[in-house]
Amino acid sequence: MAIKFEQVNFSYPSFDGTNFSALKDINLEINEFGEFITLIGETGSGKSTLVQHMNALVRPTTGSVTIYGIKIENDTKKKGKVKLNPLRQRVGLVFQFPEYQLFEETVLKDIIFGPKNFGVSNEDAIKRAKEVIKHVGLDEEYLKRSPFNLSGGEKKRVSIAGILAMEPDILVLDEPTSGLDPKGRDDLLKLFTDIHRKLNKTVIIITHDMNTVYKYASRVLVMNDGSLVYDGKPTELFSTNNIENWNLDIPDIISITRQLEERLNIKFNSQPKTIEDLFILVKEVI
Amino acid sequence: MNIIEIKDLSFSYQDEIQALSNVNLSVKKGEWISILGHNGSGKSTLSKLIIGLLKADSGKILVDGVILNEESVHDIRRKIGIVFQNPDNQFVGVTVEDDIAFGMENLCFQQSEIIEKIKEYSKKVDMSDYLKKEPHALSGGQKQRVAIAGILAMKTDIIIFDEATSMLDPKGRASIMEYIKEIKKAGVTVITITHDMKEAVLSDRIVILKEGRVIACGETNDILNDKETLNSSNLELLLPLKLQYLLDEANISNDKVKDILWQLSLNK
Repeated sequence: MAIKFEQVNFSYPSFDGTNFSALKDINLEINEFGEFITLIGETGSGKSTLVQHMNALVRPTTGSVTIYGIKIENDTKKKGKVKLNPLRQRVGLVFQFPEYQLFEETVLKDIIFGPKNFGVSNEDAIKRAKEVIKHVGLDEEYLKRSPFNLSGGEKKRVSIAGILAMEPDILVLDEPTSGLDPKGRDDLLKLFTDIHRKLNKTVIIITHDMNTVYKYASRVLVMNDGSLVYDGKPTELFSTNNIENWNLDIPDIISITRQLEERLNIKFNSQPKTIEDLFILVKEVI
Repeated sequence: MNIIEIKDLSFSYQDEIQALSNVNLSVKKGEWISILGHNGSGKSTLSKLIIGLLKADSGKILVDGVILNEESVHDIRRKIGIVFQNPDNQFVGVTVEDDIAFGMENLCFQQSEIIEKIKEYSKKVDMSDYLKKEPHALSGGQKQRVAIAGILAMKTDIIIFDEATSMLDPKGRASIMEYIKEIKKAGVTVITITHDMKEAVLSDRIVILKEGRVIACGETNDILNDKETLNSSNLELLLPLKLQYLLDEANISNDKVKDILWQLSLNK
């Protein structure tokens, strides 16, 4: 078990003086290897707050989060005994728009900044940089370039490489594909799938795109108003009727399949995953 | 009548890649037109040229019959409002009401008029309960609605939405599309810039840009029928269209299915 949430509540004073409850009684387990998880829910449902607990950026108000055997509670920091750096190295968190956080003169310097902070020697950090730049689909040549002269998509890749260079076991990404066009989105998702499969890391992605959830995820977590309301397989999620209550869309392929069934007054004998699957089903009935 | 006319417009960034090549386009008064293209197709460059944030290498732009140049740019900007992609980058006020007031203050509206318009337009975008709120207390969709209220209050003839929904969640996205429909109904000329064909099909006409060139321009229905162009556009095709193409290729024809898929493509 890599991360375990036990009865986690998190609240903070909001601007009008009342207490805002951002997380309510969260119980959740994340495995170290082999999971491709998507985290969904409407804006303000608590997704970002939840992932910030995964590497102890924030501490629960009540309850505990155990990260690689280290228990984080409300008074953990005050006790001063727990070193958080090792945890943060193992759970790499990529914020939304990581490209805004690039700051060094060269891509190389930007990538080695993280590992060096965690005590990796300069030489080893450079070795890692040469490795990770390839994992994010860029040429070693990029290491010499200034991060500010790169395209948006390239900047995003460089910032992800910076996190990978810390060699985390779990990679958490907050809306990594927001604002990208379909091709940019698919390229990045392919990259995450590769990281997940080839490097055997657990990947957790926050997204609003239900097509991504349906196509890529082995497990989906749904947040609604601070509560974790669903934890399971995407296929089962979209067959329940709760979707609308949680203000979620359904994937395009499911939507078109249902519309066809309704308007043709038929029932297909399976739920297609792709448009080619649906084509075969339609071919049979007409 | 054409409210915008673009003739032979070309632009390149620092002598590098040609961002736009010989673009010709006219926008009719009161219509809703979508400029559709993938990242790097030149669509945002085009919107920046129209509002005079960038200067063309060659060609010209006429807005309401006036040629856009250094002398006319300030008058022309009074006619065009723009809502950008990132809600955080365009929130300039300390509070919602400050932000809505900003554009009107620049246009030297009377204080009493500003107060009145803040009330009127915040109500229009369902943000009247949030006037004293600061931006961090708002969702992305709410911030975009504040931006829209500020522009509506300036009474511009044209509003450009430059990927204004691409960073929002589904609910935020849907609400912005509803406001766009209303704005169009009120007679404002609307230009939406998007890579999302689902959004583009809601407009009257579609222009497709690819590598800085206009590869298609026409009524939404005609564009959806233009299989060849769509396939070459690098855009993500709508699923109902894709299914229809698969059926066509397999020589399977069924009028009822075809009709349903067409309706679904148009989001009906």
